[in-house]
Amino acid sequence: MIDQKTLNKYDPIKNKAYQLIDDEGKPLDKTWKPRLSNAEILQAYKDLLFERTADLMAVSYQRQGRMFTYPPNIGQEAIHIAAGIVTKEQDWLVPAFRELGAWLAKGVSLKELFLYFKGNEDGSRFEKANRMLPIAVPIASQFPHAVGLGYAINYNKEKDTAVFAYVGDGGTSEGDFHEALNFAAVWNAPVIFIIQNNQFAISVPLKMQTKSINLAIKGLAYNIPSLMVDGNDFFAMHEALSYAREQAVAGKGPFLIEAKTYRTGAHTTSDDPSKYRSKEEEEHWAQKDPLKRLKGYILHSKIDELKDEEELIKGFKKHIDSEFEAAENHPEYKVEDVFGYMYAELPDELKRQKNAYENYLRGVK
Amino acid sequence: MRYIFKFPDIGEGLEEGKIIEWYVKKGQSIESGDALVKMETDKVVTDIPSPKSGILAVLYGGVGDTVKVGSALVEIDIPGVEGEAAVAQAKDQPEAPSQETVDEKDFAGVVGTMEIAGDGAYLPSGDEGRPAKADAPKTRKALATPVARAMAKDYGIDINEVTGTGPAGRIMKKDIEGHSKGSASVNIHVPMPKASSAERTRIEPLTQIRKTIAKNMLRSKQSTAHMSIMDEVEVSALVEGRARLNEALAEKGIRLSYLPFIIKAITLALKDHPILNAELDMENERIIYKNYYNIGIAMDTPEGLVVPIIKDADTKSLIELADAIKDLMERSQERKLTLDDLRDGTFSITSYGSIGGYFGVPVIAYPQVAIFGIGRLTEKPIVKNHEIAIGQILPISMSVDHRIVDGAEVSRFLNQVLAYLKEPLLLLAYEGGTQ
Repeated sequence: MIDQKTLNKYDPIKNKAYQLIDDEGKPLDKTWKPRLSNAEILQAYKDLLFERTADLMAVSYQRQGRMFTYPPNIGQEAIHIAAGIVTKEQDWLVPAFRELGAWLAKGVSLKELFLYFKGNEDGSRFEKANRMLPIAVPIASQFPHAVGLGYAINYNKEKDTAVFAYVGDGGTSEGDFHEALNFAAVWNAPVIFIIQNNQFAISVPLKMQTKSINLAIKGLAYNIPSLMVDGNDFFAMHEALSYAREQAVAGKGPFLIEAKTYRTGAHTTSDDPSKYRSKEEEEHWAQKDPLKRLKGYILHSKIDELKDEEELIKGFKKHIDSEFEAAENHPEYKVEDVFGYMYAELPDELKRQKNAYENYLRGVK
Repeated sequence: MRYIFKFPDIGEGLEEGKIIEWYVKKGQSIESGDALVKMETDKVVTDIPSPKSGILAVLYGGVGDTVKVGSALVEIDIPGVEGEAAVAQAKDQPEAPSQETVDEKDFAGVVGTMEIAGDGAYLPSGDEGRPAKADAPKTRKALATPVARAMAKDYGIDINEVTGTGPAGRIMKKDIEGHSKGSASVNIHVPMPKASSAERTRIEPLTQIRKTIAKNMLRSKQSTAHMSIMDEVEVSALVEGRARLNEALAEKGIRLSYLPFIIKAITLALKDHPILNAELDMENERIIYKNYYNIGIAMDTPEGLVVPIIKDADTKSLIELADAIKDLMERSQERKLTLDDLRDGTFSITSYGSIGGYFGVPVIAYPQVAIFGIGRLTEKPIVKNHEIAIGQILPISMSVDHRIVDGAEVSRFLNQVLAYLKEPLLLLAYEGGTQ
């Protein structure tokens, strides 16, 4: 369990990541017992496997020319699955664009995800995901929104409610990140800031991104309790997020977690990481793969033998395919919808634009 | 049923890819998602998985071959859909890969556009379901990005006449370049007049180059305050000097026209009158002086007027200028000018006199501020030492943008140019100097 002593021990200035299991999935401290039941741990493993399968298939669909673009999640799933468990229905999820497992846990369907990356705005509806903002592609723009939501929770005196906001390592260099942290601290907003430090802002390595010794340390300047966590350690992430949420809903304000991880895949399907990083580096991080480590834990502690994994993946694939086909059969987005939802009555300029676009589609010059 | 899998744009704006390795063979059974081939593109090296399960019927291209985005990569026989069902399915689909497919069916997003390469690529086993190509409408809206359209415009090409080699016949940059060069790979369609003698009028649509010329001319006249000045200069010394020079250069096969001398005179004079090599930026209320001298030379081509430039003309010798003119002339006739040849001129020259005409009022190549016109060199009686003699008279005309070029300044400039032409040895006197 995390307490003040843990926070002192892992003070960001010491530049040491909070970690519970090693690269093989064995607990570092033999006396440690996870918060989750064996059944919950097994389910988490299946969720992680599902996220990875869906992710790989999404890349494959894109390579088949069936989807516009896609940002792979591979290597970062422990963060998403742990957050998915900790995030409650009444909590707000403020995404960046690489948190697939957390979105699925919130109720986003794969069909919606695929629609979004096929360029159809209907994919942003998230019909079954309560309290989730749209995917934010501009970097860190979502952070001030998260703080606003946290402020509203306090203002409305909502009980047992927190905000989970995501950003990448590159986002910590944006002004929005710092403004958000400042206001969250000043307003004591119940916001859990999760920095997925996957080592690259597209192709810019962390070393060229910041002179800070780590990213958690950036929270200290705003007097926000901050913790650097091994983001590929499912248990460490679950523990840190649980603690952060407990603090937030107890009125202790924001919490910042730097989840140290590695983007095993490309930035998006238009990117080729072999151009800017070494095989050795990739192999080093492959040893720390979150799926491998959680699987190791389950096997070592004899929770399950995981013998039906192939069957499991087969079933996943069938489901994922059917979701993708549903997205492919979804009606195309209509021009009226582009103009339809902002004004009760369309202003003249927008009328002109709409008319011009309709003419364009009809081939009138 | 036969499914044609076309190489998709997997990188938000790719044109082609190179085959690195085939993972499959003809006749092999594959599942959707199985890797077919490893491709190298401008952005990534990646495996391309199959979108369908079935038997591989055709593989296009060998290792090292380049495959265009939108052209067929493999054909897959999908069992179970045959006969009428296949025909019906095919009828629902747009025609299979064809350059007549012109629907702009791409998904636009904040980071680019993508062709849906697999879309509509169904073919029945037989041919029943396919519309005959001859039915395709003759007039079509070209499939091209705004960038490509702008590029074609700059070249003075009607984009609808360019044959696209991109996905679904999309017109790519090199198609426009190819068209402009008139290479064998593209169709050059010159609209032929179709008038019968019975008709009193004949309707002919504007070519793109004509539209561009019209637009540019009107813009120049509407955006500037044209003012013109004309003069004559007696150039016997130049005529004689040029003849002697050509005699001396004859064994090297070099023959100079008058134009290199005139360009030399103008670039020298421009350095003393920088306002004539400037541009008026009204929006920001400033004048942009250019310390480089790219001289546009108006050229007559079968398609119409083009004004390619000689870059840094002030740094070139008379012989180099002659070479540059010759090169631009040849390439303008062969439609091989590139965009680079046509942009960023700072001053222009038109020598209408080579065809005919004494004085003219040339139109400024906006946003430049001056153009120099050369009329027909004519022998005329002149008064020399109180006697009538035969002179070699070169008539010249100049138009300037009176908004920033004052009359006095253009007269001073002109006097200097004419002095150089009257006594071409002066060109030597100033050549290479920094003042």
